[in-house]
Amino acid sequence: MKSAKFLAVSGAIAGLLAACSPSTPEAGESTADAPRVVNVYSARHYRSDAAVYAAFTETTGIEINLIEASGDQLIERVRADGARSPADVIITVDAARLHRAEEAGLFAQTDFSEFTAGVPDYLVDPDGYWVGFAERSRVIAYSNLRVQPGEITAYEDLADPRWEGRVCVRESGNAYNQSLLASIIARSGEDAAEAWAAGIVNNMARPPQGGDITQIIGVAAGDCDVAITNHYYYALMTQSGDVANRAAAEAVTLLFPNQDSSGAHINISGAGIAVNAPHPDEARELIAFFFSDTAQRMFAEMTNEIPVMPDVEWENPTLEAMMPFVADERNVSELGDHNATAQRIFDRVGWQ
Amino acid sequence: MTAGTQKGFWPDRATTLAILAALVCAAPVFAVAWIALTGQSDDYLLHLAQTRLPVYLLYSVYVGLVAAGGAALIGTGLGWLIARTEFPGRKLFSWVLILPLAVPAYVAAYAWLDLSQAGGPLHSWTGGLFPTVRGGWGAGLMFALVLYPYIFLLARDAFTGQSADAYNAARTLGAGPLSAFWRTSLPMARPALAAGVALVMMESLADYGTVSYLGAPTLSIGLIRAWSGAGSLVDAARLSLILVAIALIVFSLERMQRRRARTTAASGKHKPAPRLELTGGTAMLATLACLTPLALGLVIPLARLAWLALNELPATGLIAAAFHSLTLASISALCAAILGMATAYALRGGRVMATLSARAAGLGYAVPGAVAAVGVIAILSGTQGLIDPAWQALTGSVFPILLTGGAAALIFAYLSRFAAAAIGPSEAALGRVTPALDGAARTLGASPRETLWRVHWPLIAAGVCSAGLLVFVEVLKELPATMILRPFNYDTLAIIAHNYAADERLGEAALPSLLIPLVALIPMIFVARYLSRTRTPSGTG
Repeated sequence: MKSAKFLAVSGAIAGLLAACSPSTPEAGESTADAPRVVNVYSARHYRSDAAVYAAFTETTGIEINLIEASGDQLIERVRADGARSPADVIITVDAARLHRAEEAGLFAQTDFSEFTAGVPDYLVDPDGYWVGFAERSRVIAYSNLRVQPGEITAYEDLADPRWEGRVCVRESGNAYNQSLLASIIARSGEDAAEAWAAGIVNNMARPPQGGDITQIIGVAAGDCDVAITNHYYYALMTQSGDVANRAAAEAVTLLFPNQDSSGAHINISGAGIAVNAPHPDEARELIAFFFSDTAQRMFAEMTNEIPVMPDVEWENPTLEAMMPFVADERNVSELGDHNATAQRIFDRVGWQ
Repeated sequence: MTAGTQKGFWPDRATTLAILAALVCAAPVFAVAWIALTGQSDDYLLHLAQTRLPVYLLYSVYVGLVAAGGAALIGTGLGWLIARTEFPGRKLFSWVLILPLAVPAYVAAYAWLDLSQAGGPLHSWTGGLFPTVRGGWGAGLMFALVLYPYIFLLARDAFTGQSADAYNAARTLGAGPLSAFWRTSLPMARPALAAGVALVMMESLADYGTVSYLGAPTLSIGLIRAWSGAGSLVDAARLSLILVAIALIVFSLERMQRRRARTTAASGKHKPAPRLELTGGTAMLATLACLTPLALGLVIPLARLAWLALNELPATGLIAAAFHSLTLASISALCAAILGMATAYALRGGRVMATLSARAAGLGYAVPGAVAAVGVIAILSGTQGLIDPAWQALTGSVFPILLTGGAAALIFAYLSRFAAAAIGPSEAALGRVTPALDGAARTLGASPRETLWRVHWPLIAAGVCSAGLLVFVEVLKELPATMILRPFNYDTLAIIAHNYAADERLGEAALPSLLIPLVALIPMIFVARYLSRTRTPSGTG
């Protein structure tokens, strides 16, 4: 009788576990009359994404199943699931992660040219595994009070001793910092990049803390005079309902660096089709949709990302004020090539 | 469960469940160890040892100590106030004081840094006198403020269950109330407190979001960087073995502590101490002592977010997410409470297997959630791989994907992370049930089952419910494992809160962050009501 009770208890636990496993959306092949779906693994997590996906479903009738996690986590899950992975499209917000997914053999080679006509070459993987559908630039914000226009024009200036104790920047575990350093490695070599990173550490006004917005607020509040930030965080602040955030944004000027030389550092939101995608056609349709006028316009208007299609019309005064600028036209896949080296440089120079 | 009376080779039921708990908890850690030991080597770890590793280790010690010390101070003090004194609002505080646990530490960190940074309101109002909450002490403080409920719950139950004899004797012998507390009540509660401190320490060391935001590079930063920056999951797994080693040391110390202090005999006959009536100024002080951690850990951070939220559109999908959170947390809490109670009984039986199991169960706490989740994935995909050949022979196709991407995988991950939290409170509660009590009940003709229900359960109900609550709240705010393992289109409140916060949209993160403690209130009210109906000599209700 005792063992009967034990069995009952274990049975109840097993039952609970089974009961709470929801019927996972089918991973296998879609039949003709089943609704068309596409399974998306995305490292994007912006509110506007839901609007983009809804527009896609409305246009094509294809339903979207979504998992959002960090790029590295998504890569690990797809890799572990192997041939049975239900992933169709993998989206990340950093070229280095796309590169890593490519190296892990997760992407199928795809001819994107059909819908990327006009997209700059440097946003498309030369091997054809993935493609960038929206741009972001890592730029400099400087104080209107304590920095004269023209006093700083390039990333390289930030390492100059004259900025000692005046630079705010976030921690180096951040993918955007890693990709910025990777771009400097690609341009100037490892030694120059290490000297630059050491110079930044020397010039830091305070140990790294917070995100990009924290750095801009630091400049506005007088903790530092220049900060490194992605362009859209500044845009987010100017559009904020919070008066303090808007005031902080007004106290700084956003500078797209290296306009006379290499161009401003560019990273991408990008996507590729999974090598074992159960719905490759739908996956292709979704990526094509990211390049449509509708989606490109949404990226510009809702997340302040820079559209990659040349002739798209959009309305966003904040973003418009930043355009046009000279972009670094080195292929973003190189960011992935140098990511690991960048990390080691950060470790060596003690960039927290 | 007549544990303690017979010892044999074959485990009894409690021990069987304890072993199951240990397997669930430790399996992902073993999987991580497997990845660490069998993976490809390069020179990254050498590079790390030459550069950042010492800093990571120093910060781990620093953050761990600040977190544990702060939480011990708050948790013990409040536990004693609630258990041994009477003041207006005491009953309400007895449950509400758990709520800060529902605030994810990184949410508190986002809010406090926002408030206290240069240019933030606190900084401006105080003319720069208020320090910026950052670095090792800032992170440690955040953990202390949101994790102290671990210690509070255990301390509250331990002080409540204590007999008044020792304390009264000390008072009779001329000791002041504080000295009597220090020399009798506190030592008797020490095992419970040690269990709480160990959990707080391990949870702080496994955290990533808080320490990276506040600039306190602990080992888990190094580990995530090895994974994301250097692209080496293997090296991340290797670094996490250091955390496992630290956990083993911390939990061994805790066990040693427990063995030295045998409190069973002292508290067997229950003559609960009369509560010290606080009036006037002291009552106000007691209320203030309760309000302060509530304000710092719960009200101020959430109010800051809510204020920012006024300027934003509300996030969507919150109701479904709240339902998901509630479902996952309830099932995990129930399973964990059962496993925790079984382990406590098995430990009472004194079998070697039981002791080993309890220790192994603690391991789940040692590894950062993101890495533990990778261990879960490795186990599940390995299992699928084993099933494949048989399945293929039967059906001609690979085994369908059931294991990853189901809620079962998530609950497995939750249990492996948090079941250890359920063992401590159950064990502490069961410590109060003396073998003599069993004997008396049996002599009076009670069957083992009657003994369990009518003698044990009333004594341990509060402890077991506390254990379930801890796990419930932990699951509500769990992030990394939920992110990587969840099924399609399955958001939880913690995930929505994190997605906005990580995008530096604090205002939009506010509503889901507020909902997490609100959802946590549901079981708390339920448990409080249940306990006040049950005849609990420990009288927590």
